[in-house]
Amino acid sequence: MRYVLSKIGLLLLTAWAAITVNFLLPRMMPGSPADAAIAKLSRNGTVSPATRAAIEAQLGVPGGSLWHQYVSYLDSIRRFDFGLSYTFFPQPVSELVTKALPYTVILVGTVTVLAFVLGTLIGIGAAWKRGTWMDSLPTLSGSFLSAFPYFWTGLLLLFFLGYQLRWFPTSGAYGARTLPGWNGAFVSDVLAHAVLPALTILITSLGGWILGMRNTMINTLGEDYVTFAEANGLRSRTVAIRYAARNAILPNLTGFGLALGGVVGGSLLVEQVFHYPGVGYLLYNAVVNQDYPLMQALFLMITISVLAANFVVDVLYGFLDPRTRR
Amino acid sequence: MTLHTRATRRRLALAVGAGMTLALLATGCAGQAGGSSTSAGGTSLLAAMDNGSPTFTRNFNPFSASKRTTANVIYEPLFVPNVLDGTLVPFLGTKYTQPDASTIVVDVRTGVTWQDGTAFSADDVAFTYQLLKDFPALDTTGAWQDLASVDVEGQTVTFHLSSANVPAAAVVLNVPIVSKHLWSKVTDPVTYTDENPVGTGPYKLGDFNENQYTLTKYADYWQADKVAASEVVLPASNTQLDVVNNGYDWAYAYMSDVENTWVKAGKANTYWFPPGGTIALLPNLTKAPYNNVDFRQGLSLALDRTKIADVAEEGYVKAAGTSGLLLPNQKDWLDPSLPNGGEVTQDTTAALAAFAKAGYTKDASGKLVDSSGAQFAVTISTVNGWSDWLRGVQEVQRQLEAVGMAVTVDQPQQAAFEQARAQGDFDLAMGSFGGTGSLYNDFNQLMGSEFSVPVGQTASANFERYSSPAADAALASLKVAVDPAAQKKDGYQLQQLMTKDLPVVPLFYGGLWGLFSSTHFTNWPSADNPYATPATWGSNPLLILTTITAAH
Repeated sequence: MRYVLSKIGLLLLTAWAAITVNFLLPRMMPGSPADAAIAKLSRNGTVSPATRAAIEAQLGVPGGSLWHQYVSYLDSIRRFDFGLSYTFFPQPVSELVTKALPYTVILVGTVTVLAFVLGTLIGIGAAWKRGTWMDSLPTLSGSFLSAFPYFWTGLLLLFFLGYQLRWFPTSGAYGARTLPGWNGAFVSDVLAHAVLPALTILITSLGGWILGMRNTMINTLGEDYVTFAEANGLRSRTVAIRYAARNAILPNLTGFGLALGGVVGGSLLVEQVFHYPGVGYLLYNAVVNQDYPLMQALFLMITISVLAANFVVDVLYGFLDPRTRR
Repeated sequence: MTLHTRATRRRLALAVGAGMTLALLATGCAGQAGGSSTSAGGTSLLAAMDNGSPTFTRNFNPFSASKRTTANVIYEPLFVPNVLDGTLVPFLGTKYTQPDASTIVVDVRTGVTWQDGTAFSADDVAFTYQLLKDFPALDTTGAWQDLASVDVEGQTVTFHLSSANVPAAAVVLNVPIVSKHLWSKVTDPVTYTDENPVGTGPYKLGDFNENQYTLTKYADYWQADKVAASEVVLPASNTQLDVVNNGYDWAYAYMSDVENTWVKAGKANTYWFPPGGTIALLPNLTKAPYNNVDFRQGLSLALDRTKIADVAEEGYVKAAGTSGLLLPNQKDWLDPSLPNGGEVTQDTTAALAAFAKAGYTKDASGKLVDSSGAQFAVTISTVNGWSDWLRGVQEVQRQLEAVGMAVTVDQPQQAAFEQARAQGDFDLAMGSFGGTGSLYNDFNQLMGSEFSVPVGQTASANFERYSSPAADAALASLKVAVDPAAQKKDGYQLQQLMTKDLPVVPLFYGGLWGLFSSTHFTNWPSADNPYATPATWGSNPLLILTTITAAH
């Protein structure tokens, strides 16, 4: 219990620090939201001085001292009121986030779980059969594929499967003429649109799980208790899973917790490449447009979920590994 | 174990495969925004004129900074300027007169109805202008910068300007008119998103979802016979792949290697890239040596502009001379006495002579050094992610390094760039000017000393901070000139000043990237028929959508 309580205390402290940094960081960026809006317009030609004035009036630059802004920021967090977005003015931030979140959570969440499960299983297999082709093939191809940046894999898939073969739609979360709703046509359309981005994330993240699991497991396989189990004539499957893998999975589990927490941050580059309307794309828009309210809400959501995931893993660890409880 | 894994993988592969097939069967071609087709309802037009980020938010408030661009098709202004030649095309106004330089009298069109059937009248016009006066945040075009009051008498609206200002008409008359009966009920028009817009324009809002929306033709539109497309389809995602693949009728996009991409994608695909503004290097005139005109002349002579234009925009645009005009759009205004029409050819010897006059010479090792022998170094700022500008700047960098300068390229994010430029914190910055359709506005925002504020304060135009009594006098005279001959005289004077003083160093023209297909519609704007620019924003699309005709 003391262990859990101290973890909760740490969680609250980190949350406060994150919230504060989250407030300060966007304000340290040079330029204002109005500057960003004007720069965007000026690409299409001259922006007249009047337009500049009107945009500044419309968006409203945050007023008051930094301390005053900070207090009202804390208050608005308490009330879950994140204000209006600058980029999509006058849309409320909460509305934008709730719209983007499901796409990201379903896409990135499913793929993260899938990559973890697949990668760990393949890693176990590779370690067990180390030195054979069943080890070298996944290990080599895994490290080869994960060395590619996300967007590069994404662009390759986009070009070959989307553009050349036209098997999958190339952008968006669902087709232009599909109406959202809980019906077969919409769901299958969403699935078709999710295949390429999902494949991109899967291909690039699988390697990490395989390598991590394989390497720790090879270490565990050298432990005395494994040799003992083998000498006792247990079935090789039992030795692999119950003895070696179960002990080797701890580091991968930590990574999985962090990855799950990061899911709500979306996959910025992948969402960019596929114009996928998730949180990552929203975050990108917020940053390039100096959209303080949107940035604050998104960073807050991301930090809180990473912290929460960390907390859960920490607590879980306490049960899985008695040594951490001391 | 491994067998098990392999089986899982195979099963998964099968499942994914089956899922894909099912999904594709179920959606058919609905996944793609299908090309326009002639159906019982008429012809629909597929346009890439509004880009979602990545999806659409439903905001048709024509005064909002983040409106859907087609709000300006649903709501019409009194007059739409054709910025190529500066003419004002009548829409809700039928004709305008300027009895003196500070008055504009407009006859408002009769027989026009709002899309909900209510009759349109001059009262709506008066209401709209009053709305912008009451809420300055809505006045994005700056109509009230020049206005003093607006009077209505019958179907005539009289605009009283705050000072004599002939070129103001183009700005004042280009305000989207909203209906009094609906907008007077809106409590906060600044945050109003106008989800179901009711305008007087050729199209009203049809279906809307976050990935695509349609505009449907307004049957009782006052010039309905000129509207060829019964429907305009606007997808949110218009990537280059989409544009090439999906059979668009009209797209606005910079397309690399356009002949082999867009033109090859369809038999009737054409493009028109007229200049829409001048891209220039802005020297910081508050800093030495950029405040030295000899130095600026040296910069100008050291550059091979055609090469820069080719590198930056793949040869789709031409190099810009020092006249400050947008050529060929404004060729009638060009001062015939300007040497070589303002065009500058690279002349390194002359450039080095000019630098020497400014105190910089080439030393034995080929470096450009000042009198103390220190290497001359300059930083050029451009916007992060605007790759065409960056390519241009990198070519400028190569050419300036060839004359011995040490050149650094700085690429801040757009907001940081804008702030630094507006506050005068740069050596040389990229910028664009011109293209407003009004000679006065083009030159005023470039050279008017009224915008030149001290470094550290935010300038809204004239970022280089140029100030010249001669230029101000010419601008003041051009502002009130009604007679074309007088306007030309002042215009010539400004071009001479541009060439002699070089407040900015023009590099090349920024293109307007219009891609058109004549499969379903013809009579698109082109070099031979420049009735509008290819721009998809502002009220320009009104000109195009009421001019194109159905192809047979």
